[in-house]
Amino acid sequence: MQLSRKNTVEILSVAVRWFLGALFVYMGMVKALHPEHFLKLVRDYHMVGSPYVLNAIAAALPWFEVFCGLLLLAGIAVRGTALMLILMLVPFTIAIFRRALEMAGSQLIPFCAVRFDCGCGAGEVLICRKLAENFFLLLFAILLLAGMGRRWCLRYSLFSAAALPEPASAPELDKTVAPATQSRH
Amino acid sequence: MKRLIPEALLVALAGVAIAFIANAVSPRGLSLSRDYFFQNQAAATAVPAGTNSAHDPNPAVAHHNELAARLQSKGMSLADSNQVVTLFHDPRTEQGLVVFVDAREDAAYQAGHIPGAYQFYHYYPEKFAPVVMPVCQSAQQIVVYCNGGNCTDSEMAATMLQGWGIPGPKLMVYEGGITEWTNNRMPVELGERKSGQIRP
Repeated sequence: MQLSRKNTVEILSVAVRWFLGALFVYMGMVKALHPEHFLKLVRDYHMVGSPYVLNAIAAALPWFEVFCGLLLLAGIAVRGTALMLILMLVPFTIAIFRRALEMAGSQLIPFCAVRFDCGCGAGEVLICRKLAENFFLLLFAILLLAGMGRRWCLRYSLFSAAALPEPASAPELDKTVAPATQSRH
Repeated sequence: MKRLIPEALLVALAGVAIAFIANAVSPRGLSLSRDYFFQNQAAATAVPAGTNSAHDPNPAVAHHNELAARLQSKGMSLADSNQVVTLFHDPRTEQGLVVFVDAREDAAYQAGHIPGAYQFYHYYPEKFAPVVMPVCQSAQQIVVYCNGGNCTDSEMAATMLQGWGIPGPKLMVYEGGITEWTNNRMPVELGERKSGQIRP
């Protein structure tokens, strides 16, 4: 029963990993195929003064998201990638929140009525829904950072000596083998 | 933690390198050295604070005044709906002496543009310049438009044309854009230029 519950948790955490990976691949590709549109959206945040830094962000960020998404799907460097997602999601969410506050103030509308293309790859979204989505994405990334989603990974950790996760039933196998070898002598 | 930071750094470095390579290889990749919004030029020709351009409580009026002031500082002008309709019906349009330039991307242009308008999406100028530049050089008046509202692509496209040698006085930016044009029930051409598919 406990093994079944543990299996269920493991499978769910892999589903979370795959969901995050697929989402970042999709959102990244949407932006990568129209980088000039993403460039305009990043500019609208008025956070970057230099046109060359603006170009670098708009040119590289979508493909970086695709890269991170593929790593999660394949199960490579999962915790490192999860940390990267968190480092992207936190400032993005703050920037979206601040921009929505400005828009609510300038348009004199309720905060949750603010709707704009935040540059996430999903087009125009209602801000409160977007913030809620980002909250769950952050939560999922934190779960992966905490060590979940280890099953079915090509290389869970880049620097671990045991690159593959240990089988769940290994401790039980060791206990059953020892008495049989002792009895022969 | 000891393994996490190096792993994250490696993911970051590899990801950034691959991202820039992918952008360089992609046919829609951005040029890292291009000033797409002419920000450096805008800083050099900034409209002085305290002019009438920005001080209006109505955001739409303030935007209009700011745009008019920016265009004026570059030697260009702002066109309103009446002026654009008059130019559209001007006999010089048929002779190619009055030219309309659509500054939007492919999908938007194909979905409907001012009849006879040339497409010039300034983010990929190499694609459109061979057709648009000769036409603009021989034209007496050029009206550049995009979606209208907060769309700045028409201003950017006009600025790029000016940078390539088209005199500023020839260039007008239609602030209302295709949105105002269609709201005024003006004809719209679908698909390619001179496709013959006109939506009344």
